[in-house]
Amino acid sequence: MKRKLVISMVVLALVALVGGGGLAAAQETYTVVSDIPWPPFEMELEGEFFGFDLDVIRASAVVAGFKVDIQNCEWSILVSSVQAGAKDIGASGLTDFRERAEKVDFSNHYWLANQAVVIRKDSGLNLVSAMTGKGPTGAVGAQRATTGGWWVEDNIQAAGFNVELKQYSTYPLAILDLVAGRIDAVIQDEPASISSLTAFPDELTIAGIINTNEYFGFIVPKGDPNGLLPRINDAMVVLGVKTAMASTGVEEFEITEGSFWENLVATYFGPPIEKIEAAWSKCKNLLLSATCLEDLENYARCMADAVKE
Amino acid sequence: MEASSPIIEKRIVIEGIAVIGRYLPDLLQALLTNVQLLLALLAVGFAIGTVVALLQVYAGHFLGVPAFLYEWVFRSIPALVLLFLFYFGPLQFGVSIPPFFAATLALGFRSSAYQSQIFRGAIQAIPQGQMMAARSMGMSRVRAIISIILPQAFRLSLPAWSNEFSSVVKDTTLAYAVGLNEILRHARFITERYYNLAMLAYLTIALIFLVLTYSGNWSLGWLEKRLRIPGLEMAGVSGRGRNLSK
Repeated sequence: MKRKLVISMVVLALVALVGGGGLAAAQETYTVVSDIPWPPFEMELEGEFFGFDLDVIRASAVVAGFKVDIQNCEWSILVSSVQAGAKDIGASGLTDFRERAEKVDFSNHYWLANQAVVIRKDSGLNLVSAMTGKGPTGAVGAQRATTGGWWVEDNIQAAGFNVELKQYSTYPLAILDLVAGRIDAVIQDEPASISSLTAFPDELTIAGIINTNEYFGFIVPKGDPNGLLPRINDAMVVLGVKTAMASTGVEEFEITEGSFWENLVATYFGPPIEKIEAAWSKCKNLLLSATCLEDLENYARCMADAVKE
Repeated sequence: MEASSPIIEKRIVIEGIAVIGRYLPDLLQALLTNVQLLLALLAVGFAIGTVVALLQVYAGHFLGVPAFLYEWVFRSIPALVLLFLFYFGPLQFGVSIPPFFAATLALGFRSSAYQSQIFRGAIQAIPQGQMMAARSMGMSRVRAIISIILPQAFRLSLPAWSNEFSSVVKDTTLAYAVGLNEILRHARFITERYYNLAMLAYLTIALIFLVLTYSGNWSLGWLEKRLRIPGLEMAGVSGRGRNLSK
């Protein structure tokens, strides 16, 4: 009798252990770090985080069957905290380039970003004169430790042009200095530059785009210890984007018509921030409660329709 | 060409105040992180500061010299450099310390060095005779320090300590530099969404800190009054006042 009791208790304990383990595996949560805000990739409204990057990583998690905990993380420590393994995923408009890829592993690319150069309308400068230091201050601004600033160092300063590079801790500070006339131009990724113009439509304009062919990817610690990259890559295909090498040697994105991806791009790239915020308020529950691909597609369609209103 | 239009117009100020009002609950929520860090810093600073002060006053060379070295190092290095050392230093070896913990250590050690000098001054202001009297009554040195010297020293150090409090309150925003999501970091939600509101956003934070520092100092002033013992104020420590009151 007593022995039976012991055996049944052991069996019960084993069932609880296996069951508990299975349950824990089904609810795996990974921490995602993102430097918020950086519209339209990273945005905030009433304490909630959204934006192109964050919606994609949330949707990928739904498709791949894991959970994400999105944390706001200052740019200066973002890559290093993923590198050290303190955080599981970085989703923050991260350009894939060699030096960074030596520290962390990248997912498949999901965005092609070029650098836009913003100038004052009344400055009388153009793309070339502004970037080569021919303006009144001879200075160009960029966010510290971003590819825009490095591009100036590697291609303009290295070529012997006398242009001063002023680096700022955040992009808006550079824009404010540009409006105030302390620098002649600001170099930054195209989508973020466009969104800054909405703040100063009368003062600023885009002088031109520099095709730097930078690709964004999500990052995980070196060696992908949680095995997340294949799952994220597969999920992005399911969501409607595939990367392919074009004959020109440039990587191109094939986007499925009517997919989550197509609608998400239409939502975040083009409409003004107010529209995107209103769309998020209207549709967010569809994403936050999504359990399958259909839910995700409904969310993206809702967003794309809402920004048109 | 017309001169560039002023960045801040009246309309923008009025709309701006409405926007800031919307973000205020968020900012105050983030201020909680600053307050938590403040409490952690004061606690670390108080505990280590007391020990360092005691070692400097009572210990021999063996422990006294390290205590002086500690105080010298942490009072000499700029706060921001300390923060970077504690956060990015270990990171180089693959050790990631959470920003809050790194800030607690870096700024806490720094505060302990300053606090140690406040306590040292107060301990040395207690007349030597008190220790002799305690010892002659059969108290051990440690017992005398705990029961006789320290209670008086802490009371005497309150005015100087409230100065250190004011300084540490403001230091908490420095933790922004190592990625702590405190109030200054949260201001970015405003400044990057509404470029024109940078001035208003930072003025709001300035105002919040004026209130925080004032209420903290007011509370410490109240504590000082509550703990004051007539005849045992700083002025009476010279010995004369106390003799007269007896």
